[in-house]
Amino acid sequence: MLKRVGISNDLSSDASEFAIIDVDVDETTSVVQVKGELDLTTAPRLKWMLHDLLEAGRTRQVVDLNETTFMDSTALGVLVAVNRSLGEGMRLVIVCARSNVLKIFELSGMDGVFTIVPTLDEALQYARGRAAKAS
Amino acid sequence: MLFVSKPSHPRSARARLPIAVASTLLALAVASNSTAAGERPPTGASGVARGPAAAGAHRGNGRSAAGSEAPSPAPVRATAPAGAGSAATGAPERGTGPRASRSEGGEARSGRSTAGAAPVGAARTRRGAPLGREGAHHREGTQNTAARSTTRSAHKASLEPGSAPRPSAASGVSAVSAASAPAAPAAPAAPATTPTPAAGTAAVTPTTPTAPAAGAPVRRSRTRAARGARRAGAARTRVGAGAGATASPAAGGALAVPTPVHAPAQRAAQPRLRGASGSLSASPIVRTITRIVNVVPSPIRLVIGVLLALVLAAALRSRLTALRARRLDLQRKQLLDDVGLLQAALLPLPPARIGPVATSAAYRPADGPGAGGDFYDVFARSDGQIAVIVGDVAGHGRDALPQTALVRFTMRAYLEAGLSPRDAVQTAGAVLERQLTGTLATVIAATYDPRKRLLTYASAGHPPPIVVGESTIAPITVASSPPLGAGLRTGSRETIVSIPGPSRVCFYTDGVTDSRIGSALYGGARLTHELTELERGETAAQLLDRVAAATDSRPDDMAACMLAIEDGEGEPSVLVEELELDREEATHERVERFLLECGVEPQGIATLINSARAAAGPVGTVLLEVSSADGSPKVALRSDNVALLQSRQARRQARVGASP
Repeated sequence: MLKRVGISNDLSSDASEFAIIDVDVDETTSVVQVKGELDLTTAPRLKWMLHDLLEAGRTRQVVDLNETTFMDSTALGVLVAVNRSLGEGMRLVIVCARSNVLKIFELSGMDGVFTIVPTLDEALQYARGRAAKAS
Repeated sequence: MLFVSKPSHPRSARARLPIAVASTLLALAVASNSTAAGERPPTGASGVARGPAAAGAHRGNGRSAAGSEAPSPAPVRATAPAGAGSAATGAPERGTGPRASRSEGGEARSGRSTAGAAPVGAARTRRGAPLGREGAHHREGTQNTAARSTTRSAHKASLEPGSAPRPSAASGVSAVSAASAPAAPAAPAAPATTPTPAAGTAAVTPTTPTAPAAGAPVRRSRTRAARGARRAGAARTRVGAGAGATASPAAGGALAVPTPVHAPAQRAAQPRLRGASGSLSASPIVRTITRIVNVVPSPIRLVIGVLLALVLAAALRSRLTALRARRLDLQRKQLLDDVGLLQAALLPLPPARIGPVATSAAYRPADGPGAGGDFYDVFARSDGQIAVIVGDVAGHGRDALPQTALVRFTMRAYLEAGLSPRDAVQTAGAVLERQLTGTLATVIAATYDPRKRLLTYASAGHPPPIVVGESTIAPITVASSPPLGAGLRTGSRETIVSIPGPSRVCFYTDGVTDSRIGSALYGGARLTHELTELERGETAAQLLDRVAAATDSRPDDMAACMLAIEDGEGEPSVLVEELELDREEATHERVERFLLECGVEPQGIATLINSARAAAGPVGTVLLEVSSADGSPKVALRSDNVALLQSRQARRQARVGASP
């Protein structure tokens, strides 16, 4: 059980401009793709985007973090808040295959709370399947 | 001057600027009056010489001219103020605004000479009295000449009743009012018998009745008055002061109130001398300035007045700004002191050493808006253990302060009470859930037992400590407990590890590892490396300094607590990972991952999870205890481990419900 710590993979050198892209898949499902760093300054934008979508009746939301290079506790707080605000039949699915972001979910103990899948297709299937089951 | 001018239009909601300009001009006028007037008397010639200057002053500005011109002919010609004053007195009553106020100065000065004749004037004199000595002297001295020159004007007025204004400069203004007023005709009659006083009264009395008409003619008359001024000056020289002095009292007495006028007239002679000597003492500079002021055209004076007013306003404004700045500066200092106190409460200075362990802590605020939210505490418990708390409240700045304080002191209380780190975190999670109102707070609580050399820590969404020494331990982060305030049960994980040899244990907030080198994160690996590089005796402050030196930007607060454990040797003999589960959680995929990570054989995991579910029961929890120090992990299930509020309460309720 004792290990040497290796050099970790936390260096995200491809930090790009932050962007949130919102794609409506159907009238109840939307995909929000987050590019760049999700931190103290950018997390509020994700918050309002998700909030607005929920208001607009998008009850099944997929947040794609595969293009997200960094995420901090503020962003985590946003996701937690959205997850808590979900009502009956609503669904939040997170797409993430990046190890450094997954590590943040793991460290924070939130990996057991969110539905995290590696690809968008899986996420959409999951969102629709669960939504259908719920309704 | 202001004092006098104010009452004349106190209620006027008119722009303040005119008032300011008026008062400024008045000040100018008075300045020129007093000096010029005093200066003249000694030489008769001066009167003539000044004539043009006075005339210039007159042009185009009847109001101020009335004041300034009057004096310029000096005591001799003080008649002008008398006339002007009385004429002006009518104005304030009519409410003619700034103009009235300006001329009132003149009136104050001249009030006395006309006192005997017009009661209105007397009343005003009283008001004007506070103006000062100079004015008074001036006033008295001029009476006789006043009479003289007014005579002329009155006379002229009688000759051309309609056109009025031509009169002597001195009485320019008064003559106007006389002309426009119905009483004007009375003036001509007087000169026939007793020249001086008649004119004086004539000039005075009409003013009261003069109505709106007075305004317009005044302006026209000004130029003429200027012309007249020259003439008046000339006349003055010709006649001589003495003659005028004797002539006037008689006349005054004859026409108006005999006795009172007499006295002032006699007095008049002396004051003139006094005024003369006073004026002689006036510095050449003042004289020069006065001369300059006298030749400045009145539009320019107006401009100067406006500019002066603006300058005054600007000066006042800057003064007020300076005062405000000073006050704000003081407030800022106080606030910084307060912030310092608050910060000291959240980020206390730990003892340099607790038992055999050197303890240190450090904090560096963020570069940007992220400041605030990090907290730590290091203290000795009564059982001899060293307790450490490090945390980070998500959401930053002032808003995070209350929650930061709340979490820190709650955690400290539970640790001080002797709870294990996991129990403290779990209890705090249950207790703070409502108070954090959705704010996430990550925290790590730890105890170090120096005798057993055992480090115990439990985290709620917070990065585990880095332990560097003979061997470096990679903590297991699978199945970490969620942060406080996330609405989830937390405090389910705890790690107990022995620290056999000299080691450094570093607790930190993510601000340290999230600081940047270019666009790359500083990261845990670099931090670990930096920890191993630290010299003996170096503290958390030095660690953060090194991190700061190595990074380009630090967008979040950085906090670090360090335990420097000395002596000893060997490999850790204890390494226990605990995971508390309820029945439902036991089936989660991450429990399996956790067991795998701990080195548990995959084939035994399914059985293990089943027995854990059974042990947890419907409302209770079970503790998975994986002990793996010797390389072959042993798993123990302890169902009675948790004696915490929630589950205890739940069990009690279940018992009550089950009982018949």
